[in-house]
Amino acid sequence: MLSSKPNNDKVLKIFSTIRCLSRDQLPRYLEGRLTDVEKHLVEQHLTDCDLCFDALQALEKEESTERYQDLTNKLQRYVHSSIQPVSHTQKIAQYTRKERNKEHMLAYFWIVAFIGLGIGSVYVMRGHIRNQPPPMHVMASVPARDSAAATAATGNPPVVTPVNHTTAPAPAPEASHTAPATPPAKPILAAAAKPVDSAALKKAAALKAAQHKAAADSIRKAQQANLLKQKQDSIRKAAADKANKDDKAKDDDTKTPAKPDNKPAQVAKEQKAPEPAKKESAAASPINSDEYLYKAAMVYQQQGNLGEAIDRYRRLESVSSGKYVELARYQLAICYRSKGQMGKARRMFREVIRMDGSMKDAAKQALDSM
Amino acid sequence: MQQQLTNLSDKELISRARKQHDREAEGVLMDRYSHLLVAVTLPHLSQQSNLDPNVVFPSLLQRLSASLKTQTIYKVNEWILHIQKGYLSKPEKNTPFYPSRDGRDLLHIENTVDKAATNIIDRQDLIVRLEQALQRLNADDRALITQFYLENKPFADLSATTGISREKLRTQLKAAKGKLAKLFMNGYVK
Repeated sequence: MLSSKPNNDKVLKIFSTIRCLSRDQLPRYLEGRLTDVEKHLVEQHLTDCDLCFDALQALEKEESTERYQDLTNKLQRYVHSSIQPVSHTQKIAQYTRKERNKEHMLAYFWIVAFIGLGIGSVYVMRGHIRNQPPPMHVMASVPARDSAAATAATGNPPVVTPVNHTTAPAPAPEASHTAPATPPAKPILAAAAKPVDSAALKKAAALKAAQHKAAADSIRKAQQANLLKQKQDSIRKAAADKANKDDKAKDDDTKTPAKPDNKPAQVAKEQKAPEPAKKESAAASPINSDEYLYKAAMVYQQQGNLGEAIDRYRRLESVSSGKYVELARYQLAICYRSKGQMGKARRMFREVIRMDGSMKDAAKQALDSM
Repeated sequence: MQQQLTNLSDKELISRARKQHDREAEGVLMDRYSHLLVAVTLPHLSQQSNLDPNVVFPSLLQRLSASLKTQTIYKVNEWILHIQKGYLSKPEKNTPFYPSRDGRDLLHIENTVDKAATNIIDRQDLIVRLEQALQRLNADDRALITQFYLENKPFADLSATTGISREKLRTQLKAAKGKLAKLFMNGYVK
């Protein structure tokens, strides 16, 4: 600690690092064109640095610094030229990579966007279809298919017949002629059976060919079946009446044998004459009105006016009888279902099933799917 | 970019060239030492006529660039000189560069001095230790170091007073410095 302060600091100089001589420092040192401080620093560095000292010695041996300057310029230019293209190409490569990445991202974005749009549109379409009122032929095809299946399964074609009005009057005179003959149905069935078979087959083919018409066909068939039944009933009634009348006539005959043939014949004729007309009107008017009611209700249902349709079906159910009650109940159930009143719809379906008619299977299916 | 890189130290440039594969940093480093490389190689070029500067320098640069990525470099000047000497003496052989033990001692002391520049307590401590090491150096070396470093005497004055050539003076100074470094590192226990 005896040494003075400035000396103290200078001790550190021994081990302080000094940069190598710069390009112009080297010739300037050789020529002695350096300040004292700079010269001292250079010499301090020269003691440590072999490279700089060797360079200095080499330059001292050369007579001029021209070659040194020239070669240094060339080397520096060479270094610069070898760096720059590399860095430039690197920059270009980086730029192109970035751009490509951007493009990729854009492509991915659009793909994802289109997929999303597609899924969304499918979803919206499904929702729209679900909320739409069910079209007419979908509902109508159910009973058609059902009736066809029923006919095929049970194999009783005679009921479903294109029975013309010509067949109906044919047995009527027969019945009138053979007054006491109670079984007039048998010949009718027998007579009807043959044409009915082929006709049913034709009908089945037609059904398959044109399903849209099937609904109307089945309705007509049902009507015709009803008509036939009612006709048969009326014929039977007529026959019974005649039998009664004949009995009465016989009684009358026994009572008044004076006019044996005229009255019964007249009565029979009188009764016979109005009866077919009555029969026709009685049979046709309820069926026609039922059909009309049913169709009107169907139209309301199609238009989406479910309340009105339900009213109509109710009226039809209470007024009419036979096939239309079942159909009306079935449609009522469908109306309730589309209205969302599941309990009522279920009850209706169950009633249809209990009725055990042609709509039973369809009702079962509907009930299962609910 | 080039401007920013020229302000960086050798160490930073090397680490940039290694870690980031920065060709520009490598170029700046080569550019910094190109004139010394040329000066050192000039006598060989003038002596051996078969050496073409258009071939020698590019291949030297290539070799430097290759070894820059693999070797431990404490001091760029030593490394460049080693590579250059190796290339000129045995062009076909790649001689690896190992810094010497003394060199590493010197480097360590230089680093501690660098760090102490901003810390007064460290600095005072370092000064005391260096003075003590200097006291234990033999008289000739101590006189030489004192004259050269502490009294700022140039080579010319020293060689004139002692009658020794500049080269010899330099080697003596270097040896004295090495001894001092050894004394500082090993001879003194705090």
